[in-house]
Amino acid sequence: MRYNSFRYIIGRTARHAFVWIAILFAIFPALFVIGTSFNPANSISTTSIFPASPTLANYINLLFSTNSSFPVWIWNTLKICLITSSISVFLCALGAYAFSRFSFRGRRIGLLTILLVQMFPQTLGMTAIFLIMTWFNKTLPLLGLNTHAGLIFVYLGGAIGFNTWLMKGYFDTIPRSLEEAAFVDGATHFRTFLSIVLPLARPILAVIFIIQFIATYSEYMIASTLLKGDNMYTLAVGLKLFVGQHYDDRWGPFAAAGVIGSLLIVAVFYSLQNLIVSGLTGGAVKE
Amino acid sequence: MEKRLLRFYLKIVLLSVFNAIAVFILILSILSNDVYLLIANTVLLALVNLSSFSRKRYLLKYLLPGFFFLVAMVVLPICYNIYLSMTNYSTGHVIGKDDAIKHFLNREFLSPESEKYSFTAYGENAEITLLVLKSSTEIIVDINGNIRDKNEFSILDTNQDGIPDKINEWILLDQLRVNANIPRLQALRIPYDNGWLRLSTLREFRHYEHQYLYDRETDTLTDVKNGRIYRSESARFVSSEGEVLDPGWTEYVGLRNYLRILITDRYRRPFFGVFIWTIEWSLVTVTASFALGLFLAIILNDSRLRFRKFYRSLLIVPYAIPSFISLLVWRYGFFSSEFGFLNRMLRSFAGISIPWLSAVTWARFSVLLTNVWLTFPYMMLVSLGALQSIQPQLLEAARIDGAGNWQRFRKITFPLLIVTLAPLLIGSFATTFNNFTVIWLLTEGRPIMGVGEVAGSTDILISYAYKLAFSGREGNEMALSAAVSVLIFVIVVAISIVSFRRTRVLEDIADEI
Repeated sequence: MRYNSFRYIIGRTARHAFVWIAILFAIFPALFVIGTSFNPANSISTTSIFPASPTLANYINLLFSTNSSFPVWIWNTLKICLITSSISVFLCALGAYAFSRFSFRGRRIGLLTILLVQMFPQTLGMTAIFLIMTWFNKTLPLLGLNTHAGLIFVYLGGAIGFNTWLMKGYFDTIPRSLEEAAFVDGATHFRTFLSIVLPLARPILAVIFIIQFIATYSEYMIASTLLKGDNMYTLAVGLKLFVGQHYDDRWGPFAAAGVIGSLLIVAVFYSLQNLIVSGLTGGAVKE
Repeated sequence: MEKRLLRFYLKIVLLSVFNAIAVFILILSILSNDVYLLIANTVLLALVNLSSFSRKRYLLKYLLPGFFFLVAMVVLPICYNIYLSMTNYSTGHVIGKDDAIKHFLNREFLSPESEKYSFTAYGENAEITLLVLKSSTEIIVDINGNIRDKNEFSILDTNQDGIPDKINEWILLDQLRVNANIPRLQALRIPYDNGWLRLSTLREFRHYEHQYLYDRETDTLTDVKNGRIYRSESARFVSSEGEVLDPGWTEYVGLRNYLRILITDRYRRPFFGVFIWTIEWSLVTVTASFALGLFLAIILNDSRLRFRKFYRSLLIVPYAIPSFISLLVWRYGFFSSEFGFLNRMLRSFAGISIPWLSAVTWARFSVLLTNVWLTFPYMMLVSLGALQSIQPQLLEAARIDGAGNWQRFRKITFPLLIVTLAPLLIGSFATTFNNFTVIWLLTEGRPIMGVGEVAGSTDILISYAYKLAFSGREGNEMALSAAVSVLIFVIVVAISIVSFRRTRVLEDIADEI
């Protein structure tokens, strides 16, 4: 008995120790960037995680200095993310409603096609997308290279497939009795969709909005290929170029930018943790 | 009733706006002679109007919007990519053959004996209507660049100085007015003899000759200057001495790009090097992060453990931070060899420093470490979910039968977990396989495999394809890059089909819908 409890204590301590090592591994980069963002010096060579005289100078320079592009990048990113996620949620809801409620020829094929197309990530067609955008430049400059509208257009294409699937799964679980009652009262399909199905599906709409928002926020490859020029960049493209050229003497401002840039996403993520996780695991974990 | 009317009006207004824009683009596409845009736009216009007015086609209203974006930005690029991979699209081969020939026919040269023409301009107010070019002969030219017959006009030369003062109703313009029209004159090409006349200085025109003549019959280009003949060969004009003219043109080459990748030494070795590393990279990332995530999940799943919730929320920090920020922190903050945190620590405590991103083995280790850091929280979360769905009775029964901790894990927990998690692991493998952002933000594929080589030691297939298309050393190999992309697609589909077959996920999905 005594031996057992001794073993139990050892085991418990070992577990806590292991978890703490993992936690240190997990949060150290975050601690590092937060700590160094309060350093008075810009240089990375003298920076320390616990600065002797912490200062907000980096943040103030970043946000209010006239030659800082950071506010522009944040603004561009938020604008692109908001527009992309709002439109994609609406488009996916429309498609998912049709796939969930109507039976028509080609429905099965359509669903399987979406799944198949989704296996080919958009980034694999990067060369083609780039050339299509170059071609738009000549005929439809509004959507061409180096426009936010064009970038959103590309993102919307990539955002449809998977999200429609996810949403269709949720729509299937909404009982149809309410809609049938509405039909009896003379409402059209579109009317029931807007005023009955959508409000009931609010949780999944929120999940998809947020997942799409976060994905768009972190997207680097397409944005970096299509956008040129300091005032067009998204945060990901801008920050990479900002720190990449002179990381040794721009570390302070970069760290501050990293903290501000993460703040919104981290806050959203933690406040809606369970929702997001259930969405990302795609219902594969059955209850 | 009023509300319904209002809605109807709203629909009409929205549709009109859409139609107006679509028709505008239609006109634009006709003006710019763009057949594809014209077709795409017409189809879209027809479908949208059909879906709004036809009662039978109500489905289109729901499916069309999403379908449009999916087709435009996913399906179309896929098809275009496949087509592209069968062309020779690359630097120097970006225009059609007709455009390339036109380009050569527009090249001119000025022989030293070429005649010089002084000119005088005639017109009303500041508008030039006619030009008189004068050297040994006199030529009258209108502002559109056509040579006109002298006898058409009544020429008046009152002061008999050889320069007409008035032609028809147009009077001689002074230098100031001529200068105002210089941009217009500079654009003028007056077809003349073998070539054209154009402004060479602000004061004179000269006779420029075509440098090249194209013969459609033999498909050859002749250099007038030295009489050299260029035959068209592998999408370029090449002389018998092997001299090559730029630009070439795009043409269909069939499977040549694929053969280049699979057979020629120059591309086969980097491609397969990158391919093997891509497999290693995905396998190690998925297994290592799954092992770590599962282990943590098992610890956290024990309800006797204190602070589980707190631990869990700390452990998912890497998942919550936008990846591009943490990747840049790892690259510059930790791994950079001179100022990076890791080497600063190592130097002050052990007096050594490690080439984290510049030596092949270390660079591969570093990108793997970073990617495990990025993905283990996801693995932990899904494992936690799967663990909770395992019925405790099963484990209890095994315990009663005398099974130990390890045996229960090995025989019950793990097999059950794998069944639920297999699709997610395969998905994770496919995502890692094409995770451009991690590689690009950490190393950009460096260190390079050899001098003058595009591929780097940490390049995965997709970053290799990206480099071929956008940052090649000898220009951009768009077509080759497209071929690599198609190969990636084939590989990913093959892996998915094999593994989904084994886990029977696809069948389940097909049954569900």
